[in-house]
Amino acid sequence: MVYLKIKRQDESREWYNSFEIEETAGMTVLEALFYVQEHMDGSLCFRYACRGAVCGSCGMLINRVPRLACRTQVGIAKKENTREGSDDIFVAGQKSEEENEIILIEPLSNLKVIRDLVVDMDIFYNLVDSIKPWISSPEKHPEGGNLMSPDLREKIEKYTNCILCACCHGACPVAAKDDTYLSPATLAKAWRMHLDSREDDASRQERLDFVNSESGVWGCDLVYKCVAVCPKKVPPTMGIKALREQIEKNKEK
Amino acid sequence: MIEHDIIVIGGGLSGLRAALEAKKHGADVAVISKVPPIRSHSVAAQGGINASIGSDDSWDSHAYDTVKGSDYLADQDTVEILCKEAPERVYEMENWGTLFSRTEDGTIAQRPFGGAGFPRTCYAGDRTGHNLLHTLYEQVLRSGVRIYNEWMVTRLATDSNRCTGFVALNLLDSELETFRAKAVILATGGYGRIYQRSTNSIINTGFGISLAYRAGVPIQDMEFVQFHPTTLWGTNILITEGVRGEGGYLYNKDHERFMDKYAPESMELAPRDIVARSIQTEIDEGRGFPGGYVQLDITHLGKELINERLSGIRQICIDFAGVDPIKEPIPVQPGHHYSMGGISSSKDGLTPLDGLYAIGECACISVHGANRLGGNSLLDTIVFGKRAGEHAANAVKNIAMPSEYSLNESLAEERSNIDSMMGDSGESFADVKDELRQTMQKYVGVYRNREGLETGLASVKVLEKRGEDIHVKSRVRAFNMELMNVLEVKGMLDIARVITEGALVREESRGAHYRTDFLERDDEKWLKHTLAYLKDGEPKLEYKDVTITQFQPKRREY
Ligand SMILES: Cc1cc2nc3c(=O)[nH]c(=O)nc-3n(C[C@H](O)[C@H](O)[C@H](O)COP(=O)(O)OP(=O)(O)OC[C@H]3O[C@@H](n4cnc5c(N)ncnc54)[C@H](O)[C@@H]3O)c2cc1C
Ligand code: SF4
Ligand code: SF4
Ligand code: FES
Repeated sequence: MVYLKIKRQDESREWYNSFEIEETAGMTVLEALFYVQEHMDGSLCFRYACRGAVCGSCGMLINRVPRLACRTQVGIAKKENTREGSDDIFVAGQKSEEENEIILIEPLSNLKVIRDLVVDMDIFYNLVDSIKPWISSPEKHPEGGNLMSPDLREKIEKYTNCILCACCHGACPVAAKDDTYLSPATLAKAWRMHLDSREDDASRQERLDFVNSESGVWGCDLVYKCVAVCPKKVPPTMGIKALREQIEKNKEK
Repeated sequence: MIEHDIIVIGGGLSGLRAALEAKKHGADVAVISKVPPIRSHSVAAQGGINASIGSDDSWDSHAYDTVKGSDYLADQDTVEILCKEAPERVYEMENWGTLFSRTEDGTIAQRPFGGAGFPRTCYAGDRTGHNLLHTLYEQVLRSGVRIYNEWMVTRLATDSNRCTGFVALNLLDSELETFRAKAVILATGGYGRIYQRSTNSIINTGFGISLAYRAGVPIQDMEFVQFHPTTLWGTNILITEGVRGEGGYLYNKDHERFMDKYAPESMELAPRDIVARSIQTEIDEGRGFPGGYVQLDITHLGKELINERLSGIRQICIDFAGVDPIKEPIPVQPGHHYSMGGISSSKDGLTPLDGLYAIGECACISVHGANRLGGNSLLDTIVFGKRAGEHAANAVKNIAMPSEYSLNESLAEERSNIDSMMGDSGESFADVKDELRQTMQKYVGVYRNREGLETGLASVKVLEKRGEDIHVKSRVRAFNMELMNVLEVKGMLDIARVITEGALVREESRGAHYRTDFLERDDEKWLKHTLAYLKDGEPKLEYKDVTITQFQPKRREY
């Protein structure tokens, strides 16, 4: 048996509901939520799509750590401290001393809640889109495609692995204080686009100027919380530092 | 009422590619999707996309492999288009920023895939779908296509054999709205979730296919359902064919590399249907591991190669099965993977209903026939997505916006449909859905026969009856998951019925459709496509010829 303590919310109120469910072998938190929704309380809502940690839909706070529900095992989460009552956001679960059997599930932090575990992702998407996150390549491609060295590819890949789940946004202390802060994922993407040899120089420069601000790379406290929570091992802080260096280097010229 | 010249339903690869092309041709185009585009199932594709860009490869050879793989049921004119246009579509994606894996000299790397004569599969690590979908989405953003996120289309509107638009449910507040368009492009993906074991995303219910079917459009070759040989035991998350492409071995519990009994030449790289049946036979005959799986072993490939080319797979095995493939073999079992059948459509995505297009996995343009080759469906999405977008953009120039009448009528019908579904008693959608998925897995799976199919059909009919009594108990407005599910379960029942009936009638074995009571392919009687029409609430089956141009049907051996 395991208890899910789920934060509920609608336009007018907030409350917690506890559900007692039977844990099956290998059960994920997402599966547990489906069990509740299908058999116990049809009004519960949450987002999902792939159940395989690739679509980025199911970011939420599990024991106050931003993570993907589909990638979090019930068997592991129930042995953690729920950290109920804390206002802090943590980057990893903490093994609890005594038998716990309770999992605390809440909506992702730093985004407005629409209902239950569904948050307003448009806030996050708009931040990401603000850096024009696309390669401005010319309409015609070179015969046989562009060439790219495996080394460069490897550098970029770390950042393209981002699934835009917003877990990093939920963990970021700067995003918590400042809703104009571009977000770790956005800045990671900016660096991804910057690195790409197919990007044209004008767009690269425009993006660099755009993130050269207090809402951009200079807002970051370099506390690496985003790196710690990312389910895809994307290192936003490294991207932010690299962007800062690039900006400084350009100044010297 | 919301209006656009062209509205694409679905934000996966096929839908985005169509929208982008229509926009490039100057059309007023929008995308509507029940999940934000980057959450679509396309994001999960791992292994790669086929294109004959290798110096000694050719489109003919790609076409031959595709036709042979299809067990000669694919239409060869559309296969020709698929293979000829492949290199250009792939280079285009590359130019827009897709992070393809590279060879040492910087060109796009290619890996071998099952059923192919050349290493023809371009890939981005084992995250090809993710890289393609994010790139295409970025380009769609750049182009300024309007996107309606988190709307579920529930009914197509028609007016004298023309699609005039549709009714959709806004998931944010459960309000219905009408969308009017000169052309509607369905790009709603596959129906994997009607099976108990499936590699597909949870959202792949096939609802879009049933929308067309209910609007009178025929759905084609639905009995051809691909089972992937290697899905992770338990969650059935895909373990890409790329793992075997890189040199993985399959072992049964006696540590025999059993593929040498079934496909001595190509071994683990035989086409999917053959490998899936081989594994199923090993399991059924007691040579699987307890719990019903075999082992896929890559420990001999070494840490470096695994981390470089299969790191996504490694992570999946660790997260979802607690197994590190660098150290131990991966437990795998066959599961539903791909829907060869779908809405009957042509080389430009046109369906028999004017103004309605269908592309991607929800469509059957028939390039995959009875069995799709790995790497060909991502290709299908962008080749035919582009063609449909272009065709629609040109077509709408000469078409007037349809009148509002049929849309208002559809809206009223859908309102009363949803009102009648609200209630505090009756069946639960979850029970009906779970039983349906078990029925399909058991009776309409890897192996089929008359007795099982008849039992399956009887169960589906009972479930259809029970489906009429499903009620939505929750009255919440924002994200009413129960309402979304109930609507979709009804569509799943439509599809299950057509698949089962088609499989029962087709008394032969061809590609993925394998009848233990009719072991041979029967070209005389069955070299033809199945078309299912909805008539008076029941599927009515008709048949049509296969287009054969250069490759005459031969026995399929590997
Ligand atoms: C795990 C996995 C791995 C794969 N790997 C490969 C591979 O390596 N190579 C290859 O070639 N193929 C692969 N495939 C197959 C390939 O990924 C799919 O066939 C392809 O991505 C389908 O794309 P699509 O655009 O047709 O649909 P999808 O990507 O499924 O998109 C469907 C869209 O329709 C929307 N939608 C559906 N219904 C509605 C509705 N009622 N209202 C509004 N919107 C709706 C959804 O929101 C979604 O945006 C793989 C498949 C799986 C399951
Ligand atoms: S950087 Fe990581 S945590 Fe942040 S959105 Fe991307 S995948 Fe999610
Ligand atoms: S390192 Fe910067 S971006 Fe990352 S969590 Fe800390 S403040 Fe936010
Ligand atoms: S459901 Fe896709 S990441 Fe969790």
